[in-house]
Amino acid sequence: MTIVAERRNVLTGIVASLAATVSAFRFSALAHNGEIHAAPPTNHEVEIKAFKFVPATLKVSPGDTITWTNRDLVPHTATAHDKSWDTGRIERGKSASITCRQGMATAYFCRFHPAMKAKLENSTDS
Amino acid sequence: MMIRHVFIAMAAAAAIGQGTANAQSPADLNDLQIAHVAYVADNIDIRYAHLALAISSNPDIREFAQTMIRDHSAVNEQALALLAKLNAQPEDNFLSRSLQENAEKLIDEMSGLRGAEFDRRYAENELAYHKAVNDLVGNAFIPNIENAEVMALFEAGLEIFQAHEGHAEKMVGMLK
Repeated sequence: MTIVAERRNVLTGIVASLAATVSAFRFSALAHNGEIHAAPPTNHEVEIKAFKFVPATLKVSPGDTITWTNRDLVPHTATAHDKSWDTGRIERGKSASITCRQGMATAYFCRFHPAMKAKLENSTDS
Repeated sequence: MMIRHVFIAMAAAAAIGQGTANAQSPADLNDLQIAHVAYVADNIDIRYAHLALAISSNPDIREFAQTMIRDHSAVNEQALALLAKLNAQPEDNFLSRSLQENAEKLIDEMSGLRGAEFDRRYAENELAYHKAVNDLVGNAFIPNIENAEVMALFEAGLEIFQAHEGHAEKMVGMLK
């Protein structure tokens, strides 16, 4: 019968979409070191300009990427205050990135110019 | 006879030096002379920094000195690139010569110091030197530079040297 056939198709469709959701969820969980991360990771841009990190406060989630671009003449770094992560030297006009992890240090500075300070905030905290 | 000649020559040179200093003020310098003063000033600070790396074992002083070498070299690289682009040669002048002479004296003095005494003297000099250069750049050079590209470089330079001045100030406070 047509109705039965249609129902079967609908059921098959539901099962297939469930399977797809589960596998996407697993992939997402694996990709973020066990963190359940529903939204796709974001790439955030921070400019280093006139000896300042802009923006000075950035909301991030685990799995997100942060890219710093140096608009000054002199080299800078973005370095965790406890030195647990570090972009290394970023030359004039160049960029460097890190991927955010759960529990990572959020306060950071420029190793070459310690008065340059900025911070990350976990976007799920607020 | 020879000695008398040397004396006369020295007296004449001193008189010329004095006369030149009186006749000119930093505000009278042209863009190429200003560029040369900045280049000499950058190199002087790089020399102070190398002296600090040779003498000091204080990690903060060493880190600061490395930043001075890195930043002043970057500014000089830009300055040379700009001069090449403008097809211009920097011009020696009374102010660049006077900066150089003072630097020689300071390097002689600081070379004789060791330990905490050197660290304090180096930090104090970095603060005083950046203050003096920033005053010169901000008040005498920038208002008188004619070329827009040279101006942009000096504005960027001033920003950098002001950050150094702040850094030096913190260091002086820490070493007291």
